[in-house]
Amino acid sequence: MDWVADFWIPLIKAVVVVLVLLLGGAYMTWGERKICARFQVRYGPNRAGPFGILQPLADAVKAIFKEEIVPNHVDKIIYVMAPGISFAAVLITFAVIPFGPEVDLFGQRVGLWVGDIEVGLLFLLAIAALGSYGIVLGGWSSNNKYSLLGALRAAAQMISYELILGISLLAVVLLAGSLNLREIVDFQGTWPLLVLQPLGFLIFLIAILAESNRSPFDLPETENELVSGFMTEYGGIKFALYFIAEYTAMVVNSAIVVTIFLGGWKWPALISDLHPLAGVGLFLAKVLFVLFLYVWIRASIPRVRFDKFMRFSWKFMLPLAFVNLLATAAVVAFL
Amino acid sequence: MLSDYNFIGIFVVVALIFPFIALGLAYLLRPKKPNPVKTETYECGLETIGETWVRFRAQYYIYALVFVVFDIEAAFLFPWAVAYDQVGLWALAEAFLFLGILTVGLVYAWRKGALRWQ
Amino acid sequence: MAIDLGAVEAQLSTAFPGAVVEREGDWLVLDRDRLPSIATYLRDEMGFDFLTHVSASDYADHLDVVYNVYSTRPELQGPGLSFKVRVPDRVDARVPTVTTIWKSANFQEREVWDMFGIHFDGHPDLRRILLWEGFEGHPLRKDWHEPYYEEDNKPFGSRWPYPENPRPRSAEQRVHWRANVQYPQGFDPEDWDLGADYPPLFAPKVEINGIDTEPVYLNVGPHHPSTHGVFRMVVGLQGETVTNLTPVVGHLHRNHEKIGERNLWNGNIPYTDRLDYISPMYNEFAYVVAVERMLGKEVPERAEYLRVIMGELARVVNHLLTIGFQFNELGAMMTPMIYAFTEREHVLDLFEEASGARMMHNYYRIGGVYGDVSDEWLARCRKVVSRLDRKIDEFETLLTDNEIFISRSRGVGAMSWQEMVNYGVTGPVLRSAGLSYDIRRVEPYSIYESFDFEVPTYETGDVYDRYRQRIAEARQSIKILKQALNRIPATGAIMDGKNAWNVKVPDGELYSRVEHPKGELGFYLVSDGGTNPYRYHVRSECLINLAALEAMSVGHLLADAIVILGSIDITLGEVDR
Repeated sequence: MDWVADFWIPLIKAVVVVLVLLLGGAYMTWGERKICARFQVRYGPNRAGPFGILQPLADAVKAIFKEEIVPNHVDKIIYVMAPGISFAAVLITFAVIPFGPEVDLFGQRVGLWVGDIEVGLLFLLAIAALGSYGIVLGGWSSNNKYSLLGALRAAAQMISYELILGISLLAVVLLAGSLNLREIVDFQGTWPLLVLQPLGFLIFLIAILAESNRSPFDLPETENELVSGFMTEYGGIKFALYFIAEYTAMVVNSAIVVTIFLGGWKWPALISDLHPLAGVGLFLAKVLFVLFLYVWIRASIPRVRFDKFMRFSWKFMLPLAFVNLLATAAVVAFL
Repeated sequence: MLSDYNFIGIFVVVALIFPFIALGLAYLLRPKKPNPVKTETYECGLETIGETWVRFRAQYYIYALVFVVFDIEAAFLFPWAVAYDQVGLWALAEAFLFLGILTVGLVYAWRKGALRWQ
Repeated sequence: MAIDLGAVEAQLSTAFPGAVVEREGDWLVLDRDRLPSIATYLRDEMGFDFLTHVSASDYADHLDVVYNVYSTRPELQGPGLSFKVRVPDRVDARVPTVTTIWKSANFQEREVWDMFGIHFDGHPDLRRILLWEGFEGHPLRKDWHEPYYEEDNKPFGSRWPYPENPRPRSAEQRVHWRANVQYPQGFDPEDWDLGADYPPLFAPKVEINGIDTEPVYLNVGPHHPSTHGVFRMVVGLQGETVTNLTPVVGHLHRNHEKIGERNLWNGNIPYTDRLDYISPMYNEFAYVVAVERMLGKEVPERAEYLRVIMGELARVVNHLLTIGFQFNELGAMMTPMIYAFTEREHVLDLFEEASGARMMHNYYRIGGVYGDVSDEWLARCRKVVSRLDRKIDEFETLLTDNEIFISRSRGVGAMSWQEMVNYGVTGPVLRSAGLSYDIRRVEPYSIYESFDFEVPTYETGDVYDRYRQRIAEARQSIKILKQALNRIPATGAIMDGKNAWNVKVPDGELYSRVEHPKGELGFYLVSDGGTNPYRYHVRSECLINLAALEAMSVGHLLADAIVILGSIDITLGEVDR
């Protein structure tokens, strides 16, 4: 066994990726507060460090030192585990996402991805589904009515939109002929799939917003009805885990959107030989753009109501995803 | 290729360690002074009345049943989509048939009112 | 401004011989025992379908329960009928309820029971409303004395008692009144059953598709993000559908009215600011109008204009804020709310310069206003008004056609105006259901008669119409403001006579109402000729609008109940008083 290639490099990659994701999630909280503040003509956090840049660190320190309150009637093991599940699931999702081409680093040929597996897309869907366990279990184990309502909503919402997520991705698979995300990115060498699949992109975007419980589909934690939904009973570090899981999920989901529909690290056709690291930069820029979209949507529109949202899912989005798939199949077959 | 699964395995381990680090660190550092009032269930500052874990009217449980059917069928479609290039027109016909059955299922559920909020 | 009392008396006396026991100033004293049938007659035959105010007053030898009824018939709109019934027995005070005739009496009769201990026979749910069950006595009775201020009755044995437990485990257990407070006979706080606020817990199970499910009871509030303060509603849920809803108020109660009786007439003005703290200017307006009516005092023209300008600015701000809160409840991440607050800041700047305070203005005076404003102030006010005009357009562009908003608000909380009138709902909520009833028009006060403005109405009274109603009313306020700013006299007195530190109000009693941004804000004042009110009652439009909350919410989802609550627009400072 080649220890360097088979153990140390993946380990270093794993640690670096996890740290970057954590940082990204943490700074997403800051970024969202900052951007939202700008939408609302105010400053946002600006006390901890210049532009409030140290705010996430301050929040983290606070969360760690905060007293733990475990309510009486909770199912304790699940209660403690649930945020961890949410958090780990989000991180693991990133394992199959390539964020750059193969590069030479320190005399080693290193692919800028964690794992390059044939069924990457399925892996993605599977792990994303795991994330909802964290939410449902957390909400249920809290033994709180608000949490319970939130958890039930989360369960219903996530299964509905997972399905749509899967079907909208089928069209992509059909075009790219592969479930491997690196190959899907390669397929987008000339044009990003956004151009070939505009409808699929929209469906996917909505589904992934719903999947990550983001406004306007943040129904499991609707502050205005359910206080804090599934995480009502959580405080301190456990709340922080949920919180950062949500924001890391935003980052990861943006990365998924970028990889599948916006061409990953590739630049459409015009510039053919990009420096590999510039590709990483491009990937990052695209991710930031999608993240901005997230915040933009949140700052702009009210929340939909749960029953209407479910109806929208099953009676509109699902048939639409089917139509998109069939149309794509037909076009591919006849062209 | 197989080693890529190992890489993912390493990644999963690292990813699992992080929440434990966070929880463990907080466990060491935080104060813990529970008292009966603090550890009460939160219900807007009042004692909660009745059980929480009752036979709750989950208006959406039928969604879950429908979901199981559809998700499995969607999973069947993935290999089809991958091999679509090789199979060609015949695959298209098949897919239409398959999705046709799916659609009939959806329409059935719809007509039966399974997708209605009640 | 008075109704033809003689005609009413004559008609009542023919229908019910001996119904009118006595005539006392502008008030008819009706026969207590036949009250329900007389009330039905008043509502059905004489058109007084709108009971807005029920209250009581304690005179050493008897108690009076007072009612103010109005009519929504176009030809009868305007001044209403004031009547009262007399309760001679202080110990076992009983009056038949009128809740069955006018549902708006529900909360108000509960309040009278709470404060005066008058028992309403036949009331469906006669519990204390503002105070808790463990309170001993009925504090607005004249024989109840307030501790410390009216020394001879102290609920606390001493100021600082020593807890039984020398080392309490938590701050919550360290409360010093534990062994020290007086409870009613047979009341044990440890056994106190909050369940009284819950609908029966053995509510039937509902069977759906062969599976029976249990209801869940949920406390929404007092510590909830969307209840506008410490308001609590107990919601019974089947799934997420509301099956019943009980509003519980009083968490912020401070017995404003008792304080009001102790204050001088002037001294109450700053206290009214604390009622609806979103639009304090208009609370003061309501109060000074009431006192001036008792005094028969005229107000100089410039002062009247200033009053209207301040009041209408407050109305615009209130409506914008309400819309902002409304969207907050819809989950729009505070954006519209903060836009509304931005506009509020500009108006508060004006208020601050005129009155010296941003929120608790204390600007109105009996017979005028506190201070004059400069020409620059007026110029800036004109700018702010035209800015508000633009901003209302901006709000409309941003919000009115929002697809999600429409889908969430159309048909939600709809109620016919007839039903709303029965519940005593007033203000924009009532008008949004189609009844053109604006006190500035039907019973004008101040100089509103001289302004050209419309009373907008919408049709269904759902949340969407309430939103549009508020936008439309804000526009009308802008219209009034523009006229007022053009016509305000360049100079002139702002006080009728000298600014009196102390006012003596002649004997009498009156109920006076104005069109507050949230509804009908009324003051019921009784004077014994002294320097402070003998009885001071606030007819809180927020509290009474809440009475319709259950009827509006049942059958909708929990999410809708929150939105309906927001669209009713309450301020807890005023609900709980």
